[in-house]
Amino acid sequence: MFRTCDITGFKVDLRSEKLIRYNAVFAVISLLLAVTAAILLVFTRYQPVHLLGAEWYYRLVTFHGLNALIFWIIFFEIAGLYFGSTVVLNTRFCAPRLGWIAFGLMVAGLVLSNVIILMGKADVMLTSYTPLKAHPLYYLGIILFAVGALLAVILFFGNLMIARREKAYGETMPLFTYGLMTAAIIAVITLASGALIYIPTFLWSLGLIDNIDPAMYKLIWWGLGHSSQQINVAAMVSIWYMVSFLSVGGTSINERVSRTAFVLYILFICLASAHHLLTDPGVSSAWKVWNTSYAMYLAVLASMIHAFAVPSSFESAQRRWGYNKGLFQWLSKAPWGNPAFSSIILAIIGFGFIGGTTGVIFGMEQTNIIVHNTIAIPGHFKGTVVIGTTLTFMGVTYYLIPLIFRRKIVGFGLAKWQPWLFFIGIALLSISMIVLGQLGVPRRHWDSTFSGGPFTYNFNPAVDFFWTLMMLGGSLAFISTIIWILIVVISVFFGPKVKGPDDMQLSISPLAPAAKAHKGFEAPGTLILTMLFLLVFLALFFLNWKWLAATWNVN
Amino acid sequence: MENDPQPEIRKAPFARMIMDDFMLLLFLGVTIYAIFYLLWGVMELSNLPAIPEDIKQILNK
Repeated sequence: MFRTCDITGFKVDLRSEKLIRYNAVFAVISLLLAVTAAILLVFTRYQPVHLLGAEWYYRLVTFHGLNALIFWIIFFEIAGLYFGSTVVLNTRFCAPRLGWIAFGLMVAGLVLSNVIILMGKADVMLTSYTPLKAHPLYYLGIILFAVGALLAVILFFGNLMIARREKAYGETMPLFTYGLMTAAIIAVITLASGALIYIPTFLWSLGLIDNIDPAMYKLIWWGLGHSSQQINVAAMVSIWYMVSFLSVGGTSINERVSRTAFVLYILFICLASAHHLLTDPGVSSAWKVWNTSYAMYLAVLASMIHAFAVPSSFESAQRRWGYNKGLFQWLSKAPWGNPAFSSIILAIIGFGFIGGTTGVIFGMEQTNIIVHNTIAIPGHFKGTVVIGTTLTFMGVTYYLIPLIFRRKIVGFGLAKWQPWLFFIGIALLSISMIVLGQLGVPRRHWDSTFSGGPFTYNFNPAVDFFWTLMMLGGSLAFISTIIWILIVVISVFFGPKVKGPDDMQLSISPLAPAAKAHKGFEAPGTLILTMLFLLVFLALFFLNWKWLAATWNVN
Repeated sequence: MENDPQPEIRKAPFARMIMDDFMLLLFLGVTIYAIFYLLWGVMELSNLPAIPEDIKQILNK
């Protein structure tokens, strides 16, 4: 039932390993579907090409959203939950048969929803706001997927209970698993919201319920739609800590603070769903301000703690390895040839500077109005879910290939470049979309020129430049994703087997030596970088308020 | 026998006990979300006055 990993020394439950593999494979399939739709959408919104007709544009917006934001992410996260609750804790899987049932339900959901979308019976986009109505099987597909995912999350908690009862870990669970536990709790909130809204909507699509109140639908749906992306944040940050440990032997310089930050996520991050309703008249300002400001800022505080704790764990470890010169030798001597390491560092930069700053600014009732329902919003979540979560998942896969699939990485030279290409591509795509949104370009709109419509609008001529930049960024990101998928598929199915620790292409570092007595800050370089981040954030914050004042002149 | 050293039972600090109790954290996470986002939001939407009939008829035309 178990094998002992000759590289990490972990006791690996073979039943768990198989489930991890299959969930990871379906994650990659979902990503392939998502990016295939994405590139077609990019060349449709890029007006000189305007590839697809209106029908297929909205069909693929639905298809892309579901595969990218739900299937790719959640399949990968379930693989991560199983890995973190069994392999990392050296314990067994609580109920493998139920694990396969969960997997089967998720695959059935994926197939059913995608087939119905491609048949043209669910052109409702991911949000599927009522009274837009899709075929009942579309909703059923999502319900099946959600039930499977919820079952998988319950199994994760089952594994944790076994590990605790069998004292598989010391006084407290490892930080990586703790972060995954946070993701699992957020997943319960997310999936419960999904059940609350999709089951009545399914019955409505069958004609068994007369009406679904659109305002109520929107409120509850965003409990699913936004919280599902918070599962990503928690899982992504957990992986950042793990890769710091694997690549340089780093640990959080204050683990208790890092854990507290995860608790803040559990308590407050899902309330941020409210910022999707900031322009809705049905809910009061008190509800909006409490949920998107006071409460959400506690979750933002948690992200800022992690934003400092993760790079400082790298820096502290590097300094203990002797890279002490100046402020940034720890960074210049970092293992940049390790694609998992470079992915994580680039994901942190992109997530913080693009996704994080815009998240806070767009999440405020006042400044949100500048970009609400513009293309800046998907631009923001390209900066969180794609440059943050997806690049992180891509990076950690470079460790999973040898450790879980027991294969060498084929095309390792290309793998070193892939995170950089992806980062540059998505950064270009994301920033262009944000600027376009600031210039008033709407989101999810087939024809930005409004040709043939009763109204027209002359955008600032600068939009043409940013459309081109967006197309170039999207193309680069697409190419690098295809490179990643090819590396993963060829390595997993045709790659040579790993023959022990000496055969590893990625280094696994021992724990960094204990810190000697030192004066001053433990991570001064990270402190400088954090200050730089805060300055950028303040500049953008000021700029947006200034923009608001100029847009909406109050005398 | 009486002089045998007793194994020391170390009690975890209260804060850590709470932070390590994933069922309690699950309960707290779900409750805070349910109260502040969901129930409060549903109550506000439920208390909206119904659309006046004459406006409804105009919109339905």
